[in-house]
Amino acid sequence: MDKPAIVFVVDDDVSVREGLDSLLRSVGYAVSVFASVREFALARRPDTPSCLVLDVRMPGPSGMDFQAELSALNDPIPIVFLTGHGDVPMAVRAIKLGAVEFLLKPFREQDLLDAVRVAIGKDEARRKDEAALAELKERFATLTMREKEVLAFVAEGRLNKQIAADLGLSEVTVKVHRGQVMRKMGAATLAELVRLADLIAGQERAIR
Amino acid sequence: MRRDRERMRIDRPWLWLGLIAAMAAIFAADTLTNLEIAVAVLYVAVILISVRFDRPAIVIWFGVGSAVLTVLSYLLTPRGIQETGLANGALSLIAIGATTYLALRIGEAEARVRQTQAELAHMARVTTMGELTASIAHEVSQPLAGIVANGNAALRWLAATPPDAGEARQALQRVVADADRAGEVIGRVRNLVAKAPPSRDRLDLVALIEEVLTLARGELRRHRVVVRTDLADDLPQPLGDRVQLQQVVLNLVINAAEAMGGLETGPRDLLVGAASDGRAITVSVRDTGVSLAPAAIEQVFEAFHSTKPGGMGMGLAISRSIVEAHGGTIYAAVNHPRGMVFGFTLPVAGTTLDRQHG
Repeated sequence: MDKPAIVFVVDDDVSVREGLDSLLRSVGYAVSVFASVREFALARRPDTPSCLVLDVRMPGPSGMDFQAELSALNDPIPIVFLTGHGDVPMAVRAIKLGAVEFLLKPFREQDLLDAVRVAIGKDEARRKDEAALAELKERFATLTMREKEVLAFVAEGRLNKQIAADLGLSEVTVKVHRGQVMRKMGAATLAELVRLADLIAGQERAIR
Repeated sequence: MRRDRERMRIDRPWLWLGLIAAMAAIFAADTLTNLEIAVAVLYVAVILISVRFDRPAIVIWFGVGSAVLTVLSYLLTPRGIQETGLANGALSLIAIGATTYLALRIGEAEARVRQTQAELAHMARVTTMGELTASIAHEVSQPLAGIVANGNAALRWLAATPPDAGEARQALQRVVADADRAGEVIGRVRNLVAKAPPSRDRLDLVALIEEVLTLARGELRRHRVVVRTDLADDLPQPLGDRVQLQQVVLNLVINAAEAMGGLETGPRDLLVGAASDGRAITVSVRDTGVSLAPAAIEQVFEAFHSTKPGGMGMGLAISRSIVEAHGGTIYAAVNHPRGMVFGFTLPVAGTTLDRQHG
């Protein structure tokens, strides 16, 4: 988690590109620059918090088109737009599609650095959530079929007695299963267990 | 500066030589023939031709010279009837005087036409620059963005512990380069909107075209046009007015960009070419926009004819008058597989350039 954050910069103007490269490196980011969105799309991206500083108007596909492309591919990289002549509808569209910020050139340094910080923070948070979810899924995978069934009933708010009746088990057996589930899922309380079960259910629904 | 003036003085040497030879021949004929034969009337042709120098002083000199030679011939001619000779000489002098006066008026009228044309061209240029404001703002904001980023980076590299002088220097070098770049953009704009009298200089067409493409870059980018150039590097340098020819190229380039801006699909390629066959230089601007129908092509160079919504229809008409004033021709044709080619030819300096007034 301590790998340096990477800022990707895509701008067709070499001087802006190099300036951003130098500026962002001077505040401690790792920077990778590209002259076009095509170059960026072909680049390998290391698994570390990152964001994209993107020029809107470039020869070939524009930054806005590329944003739509990324969002169609479910690529969650946060985007900070830079543009020489933007208008309000353009900015609204970009922000609606999830852009972190829409800055006009020439931008103020602080605005850019703030936007990049927010974008990196957003990516970090997303990565943390994803990691937590992945861990949760791993834990869920260690449950036996019976334990998963018990968990499903518990999450619905049914009592041990009712679950025992539904599954044709003794109440004691249900209690043992439930204890196992709590331990394996790392839940300290019933409330937490229910929340984790919801997270997994939500994730599975999203995948389907 | 002095060298330029000297070159101006021997401008069109063949015309000088021809006129002086003609005067000498007329003088000889007038002196050798009898007094009754009014050869001196032929001086009017010389005076009329001298209008081509576009300099009233030269016309006056030819007029005065013709009159002096007429009188001289009269005195030198050995044979003939004195009274008839005197009457003929007087008539010749009146003809020479009247012609000189008319020649001066023609010169004035032509100068006025040229001035009006130049003013119209200037107005069109300013209008075009107005349309390009957003594009030019972009051209300036780009280096400014570079300056902001590089300047701040330099400050941070210097404030770091330990300071990184190497990084700071590189950043500052880019600041300087960007400032220069912004200055150049402004200089180009200033040149194009400045009101300068038409001039005749040797032109580096490649540099001229590249400057125009830089100015129009924002506009081209706005229309997402991909620009390619095919500029011969051994191009002869024609004589002409740099600003006016830049205006023509700018017009053609912007028209092409706008023609492609409305395209839903297909490539948006702009190819600017310049080539020479030794006698003429051809500059062409090819686009992959909509092709015009042959009937429409005939009309595009007419004033107030526009295929663009909101177009004044002056751009191509002015371009044509500029190109023709340079002794060239402007043309339009359908490009294959799609789009249009607009271009113009200019005579290579030294072939035919005494058609300055058009």
